[in-house]
Amino acid sequence: MAYRVLIVDDSPAMRAFVRRVICLSGVDVADFFEAGNGREALALLANQWVDVILTDINMPEMDGEQFLERLQSEELLRSIPTVVISTDATSHRVERLRQLGACGYIAKPFLPENLREVLERHLGVPYA
Amino acid sequence: MPEDFLHRVVHESLVDVLEKMFFISILDETSDSVPLPVRDEMAVRVAFEGEPSGSLIVRLNRFVARSIAGDFLGVEQEELSDSQVGEVMCELANMICGSVLSRVESAVTFRLNAPEIVDPDQTPADAAIFSVPLGPAAIKVAMITEAPICPPAAEFAS
Repeated sequence: MAYRVLIVDDSPAMRAFVRRVICLSGVDVADFFEAGNGREALALLANQWVDVILTDINMPEMDGEQFLERLQSEELLRSIPTVVISTDATSHRVERLRQLGACGYIAKPFLPENLREVLERHLGVPYA
Repeated sequence: MPEDFLHRVVHESLVDVLEKMFFISILDETSDSVPLPVRDEMAVRVAFEGEPSGSLIVRLNRFVARSIAGDFLGVEQEELSDSQVGEVMCELANMICGSVLSRVESAVTFRLNAPEIVDPDQTPADAAIFSVPLGPAAIKVAMITEAPICPPAAEFAS
């Protein structure tokens, strides 16, 4: 099965890095979608279905916390596994994001294996 | 004590970020290469709000910056635009800053502002500057905070 992945981050460099790491990890991706903040991501989700969302926290216009709140408020979008990728690894931040509906958390810097493990867990990706 | 602690935290964060995200191993050895001139440096500043608030500045030679940006994006150096190099340097500074602040976790959640490219000469004279050799150059990290950064209570007690 090929997956549809949405990467939400205001840094084009970080979006490119995450896309590259996913490709190298062997996950079968049908489509990558990208958004620079939560608002852009919601606009994209109005027209596209994705299997997993990877989102940053600190973003302009609509940050990661506001984005998670909006996802949780929409019945259809609530079911999409959403993983936060952020530099903020403090325990209270991680706990807050889990309460807001994030199903996983990856602290930057991270190893490619960390991202692969999280995708495997939430997508049921089979690895050789 | 606070300066020793901060030095260790910045060093650990730098090594962690460069090894995991840029696939660069930092050796605690001085390079045999001819040092690159300081005048060719670029700098990125990340302001942060928390306890304490402040900013972190990362300075790096432009040639080395282009090289590690290529590694990060998986693109040949000659194919990179200056804008892409700048974006990667902003992300590098963002990750170092987040990593440092996460290691000095306080009861208050910190917030990072968007990184910005600045004039390297604007680094304040009173900033605590940490330097790690990186090929023929050095990556320098300057921290400016409104109050000293101290070890978490648990570490201080141990």
